[in-house]
Amino acid sequence: MLQLQNVHTYYGNIHALKGISLEINQGEIVTLIGSNGAGKSTTLRTISGITPPRTGQVLFEGKSLNSVPAHKIVSQGISQSPEGRRIFANLTVRENLEMGAFTRNDKAEIASDMDRVFDLFPRLKERVAQRGGTLSGGEQQMLAIGRALMSRPRLLLLDEPSMGLAPVLVDLIFEIIQNINSQGTTILVVEQNALMALGIAHRAYVLQTGAIVKAGDAATLREDEDVQKAYLGME
Amino acid sequence: MPNTKRYLITGGVGFAVGTFFLWNYPNLGLGSALLGGLVIAALCLLYSAPLADMIKAGLIAGMFGAVMTIVYGTHKPGVAIIAGMVSGLGAGLLAFQRSPQANPKKAAILGAEAGAIAGAWTGLSLFVMAFVIAPAAGIDAGDFAEHLSETVILADVLGLGSDILILLFAFAFSTLSGAILGAASCAARSLPLRPNIPLLAVIALPVLLIPLIDRAGNLLLLDALIPIYIFILLALGLNIVVGYAGLLDLGYAAFFAIGAYTTAMLSSPHLGINLSFWLVIWVAAAVAAIAGLTLGAPTLPLRGDYLAIVTLGFGEIVPILFRSLGGGPPGGTLTLRFFGMPIGIEQVDLTGGNKGINPISPPHLPLIGDFDPSNKIPWYYLLILIMGLAIFFINRLRDSRQGRAWMAMREDELAADAMGINVVRTKLLAFSMGAMFSGFGGAFYGAFIGAIFPSSFDFSVSIILLCMVILGGLGNMTGVIVGGLLIQGADKMFIPKGAELFRRIAETKARAEGSSTVGVSALQDLTQQRLLLFGIVLVVMMLVRPEGLLPNERRKAELHPDDDTINSNSVAAEAEADPSLAA
Repeated sequence: MLQLQNVHTYYGNIHALKGISLEINQGEIVTLIGSNGAGKSTTLRTISGITPPRTGQVLFEGKSLNSVPAHKIVSQGISQSPEGRRIFANLTVRENLEMGAFTRNDKAEIASDMDRVFDLFPRLKERVAQRGGTLSGGEQQMLAIGRALMSRPRLLLLDEPSMGLAPVLVDLIFEIIQNINSQGTTILVVEQNALMALGIAHRAYVLQTGAIVKAGDAATLREDEDVQKAYLGME
Repeated sequence: MPNTKRYLITGGVGFAVGTFFLWNYPNLGLGSALLGGLVIAALCLLYSAPLADMIKAGLIAGMFGAVMTIVYGTHKPGVAIIAGMVSGLGAGLLAFQRSPQANPKKAAILGAEAGAIAGAWTGLSLFVMAFVIAPAAGIDAGDFAEHLSETVILADVLGLGSDILILLFAFAFSTLSGAILGAASCAARSLPLRPNIPLLAVIALPVLLIPLIDRAGNLLLLDALIPIYIFILLALGLNIVVGYAGLLDLGYAAFFAIGAYTTAMLSSPHLGINLSFWLVIWVAAAVAAIAGLTLGAPTLPLRGDYLAIVTLGFGEIVPILFRSLGGGPPGGTLTLRFFGMPIGIEQVDLTGGNKGINPISPPHLPLIGDFDPSNKIPWYYLLILIMGLAIFFINRLRDSRQGRAWMAMREDELAADAMGINVVRTKLLAFSMGAMFSGFGGAFYGAFIGAIFPSSFDFSVSIILLCMVILGGLGNMTGVIVGGLLIQGADKMFIPKGAELFRRIAETKARAEGSSTVGVSALQDLTQQRLLLFGIVLVVMMLVRPEGLLPNERRKAELHPDDDTINSNSVAAEAEADPSLAA
């Protein structure tokens, strides 16, 4: 479904991604794990067109996304819940969700998608008229994911969904991510909480200073000694 | 009687006011002096339950009547009637809003009650005008009464003092219009109309009637009102850029200048191109919109303070450009050519330099002919038409997809991008839409004034416009209009008029004391202090009510996060879900 072929991305002169190649198949949950500064978020930004690759190819369903501007990526079927959630703090929950469906015009369909989001996150339904900024951290994360779902993506990009959340809520969020996936959305999730991410993902890539150092089945990687040592805090 | 105390206090105050008149002006006679006080007391006694609301409504509207009267009451016959009517209209509207009743009869009574209070205020201020301020300013009170010739005749017939009659007039008209308005707004509610239409009609009615009232009362209000409206139109455009899209623009006057200069160059003998105003106004708007794009393009990567500085620079450059694009000695050698063909400009004097362009052709209509600078009525209606269209269009724009894109961009540019919003387009469109409305404003301004000068488009214009938007309520059109009326009204009507009154009072006093009147006027000149007053008001506003007078709901929430009681509930719910948080 999505392929990155030898992608190099730069921030000015800083070489952030040094030849990343990865593949995501329809229906999978794939996770990118790695420490701070490894290039996880940059990979997502490259896919979503915010920092396009300097060389290499990003292919989505066979078509190149290299020169597609960020705002057009959404209508291609990829949407992301950005790092730090970035919900619209002064808009209500409903308005935030409506904003997620900005590229769409079919009112009835949007309404049914909103119901679907409320099914996934009943907490959001209770807070529908509340301003985004007044939600708790967990609710904001739910809103960010729900908002990303409102564009009906075929591929959902999640950047650090567990960031800043209490353990109970992390479990809940990951459960919902699995739930979304089981309803047919392919998911790429970037996580520092490698243990959780490997727990729900089908496959995983390990990033280190801008390059992929390991790839494979999530279950296999979980057993991998290096991974356990470096990212799972096991000796 | 739970309200006895209130009646007694109000009545007592009224009585004290009446006695004050009696004491100061014994020649007025007991009856008239007491009336002011008694009327207020009697009114209070008449009211039943919603007293406080009615008094509030009447007071708010009456304040307006009072200010109108005191500022414009000098020698103007019919002021009582107009002020009474206007305040009655306002009072009826407010009364109805405060206690909406399903029954038109009840609504009419409510309106009448509120109108009566407003009328009492207006009448009272007429008294103050006629017998305190006018004599102090050297205007004879008798003189004042004589100008109300119809009133005097009527007074003779009825055997009343003309002063009483003035008050009665204000009172009667105020009450009547309050009643009509109350009933009308109630009746309109039962019609199958969108709920905002009756309100619109109620606002539109006085706006449309002003020229007629003005002519009847010979008030010369339009001279001040038209420039005020132009500024409001500009502020509405600026509100798109600053209020909706959140792009701080400190050089907005530049687009106003561009609109005005486009009109001046295309519709005057200056360059020999004398196109019709009806065409030029569109050209001016288009040119301004393109200028908006031109400013927008280089500022795309800039945010907040940086953007403000660039727009500031733009605002400075444009008037200088117009200043230096002309004004040289006549008979220059450069000829503009279009594909080798000279197009009739034999000298480079495009803009007239410091002298500006004068005259500019007025609009022409079949039945009216050329709009006459001395007859403001067609101008007024033309401007109302432009503003009506602008308000309608901006309103639709705000509620459109484009409006939502602006909102998202203002909140968080990156997130907006992630939603699939084309931020570049959204930003440019905000600049060019905002600029377009000042293009209309500039075109009208040029034709109306009949001459333009580069100094009319200073930095201070941009700042005043920004203050109008902020004072009224960023992002809320009604707020911007109210803010504009207040700031520009104070600036162009009430402060100059008030200053004149002060000056006359000071001169009269000096004359009475036998000292020289020279220098008194300068000392008392309020207009000198208007920027000071203005500054104080802004500082106080920002401390007390930073969201503006009539805020946009969202911005209000943003500035008063403490009011968000739901916030704590949400945290509590979180704590419930996770016991570790509760500790």
